[in-house]
Amino acid sequence: MAFLRFDAPDPFRNLVSLQRELERFTRNPAFSLGPSGYGAFPPINVFDDQDGTVIVAEIPGLDPAKIDIASQGRTLTIRGERQREAGPEPSGYHRRERPFGEFSRSIQLSNDLDTSRAMAKYEAGVLMLKIPRAEAAKPRQILVNAG
Amino acid sequence: MTPEQEIVTKEKQQIQGTEATRPGRYYVPDVDICEYPDRMMLWADMPGVTEKNVEVMLKDNTLTLTGTVSPGLYNNLSPVYTEYNVGNYFRQFALNEDIDESRIQARMHNGVVEVELPKREHAKPRKIEVQPV
Repeated sequence: MAFLRFDAPDPFRNLVSLQRELERFTRNPAFSLGPSGYGAFPPINVFDDQDGTVIVAEIPGLDPAKIDIASQGRTLTIRGERQREAGPEPSGYHRRERPFGEFSRSIQLSNDLDTSRAMAKYEAGVLMLKIPRAEAAKPRQILVNAG
Repeated sequence: MTPEQEIVTKEKQQIQGTEATRPGRYYVPDVDICEYPDRMMLWADMPGVTEKNVEVMLKDNTLTLTGTVSPGLYNNLSPVYTEYNVGNYFRQFALNEDIDESRIQARMHNGVVEVELPKREHAKPRKIEVQPV
């Protein structure tokens, strides 16, 4: 597997190559999501990194304390609600495009991950979930005894 | 507007029209524009854009919103399955002259840009008292 690197000097070409890489794996049929398939909210991107799996979702305007991420066995469920900004009732709307409401998405993870050590970060509206591989699944060298 | 409604997924829209000189896809951010008696409010969803990377520019009555994302978040990640792509955001609006340009304010929080566009004094609705003669 090829790990991407995007800190080379040209930020524009980096963005283009990231977009190309993401495009290649669009709705990759080799990956099975489990309960919530494509079309559920939020759209997710799944990556591998050196230590395990990383799931990224874009959900702007959430209160990080209210994002509910639960795991049960191999299934990870991300749940929450996006609420409108507090404020007075407007006299009219000229555009009303942003989605609001509850969401819940379940993802089936592979067997070798350790969900008890999963970590989540929410920054600039992007939720990033890192789930490391279980100790037993990590590659281990087995020493050969001579003689 | 029931509180129990569920959010439905929709795909990001790429911008049509003017070709950008810089490479990379640009997306149209979802926007809410509300009108109040004394101001207009605009919110744009730009996930992945931090405060430093958003630009709100007003020129010749045109409000331009630009947000750039940094691919650095994806360093050392190898895609396995993707449902959405990432890219910069761009959208323009023509303002009418009711907006007091000198008092426009913008804030950024959790990937949402909030722009406050106060109306000029004379544009605010004013109730006129009718005096008996």
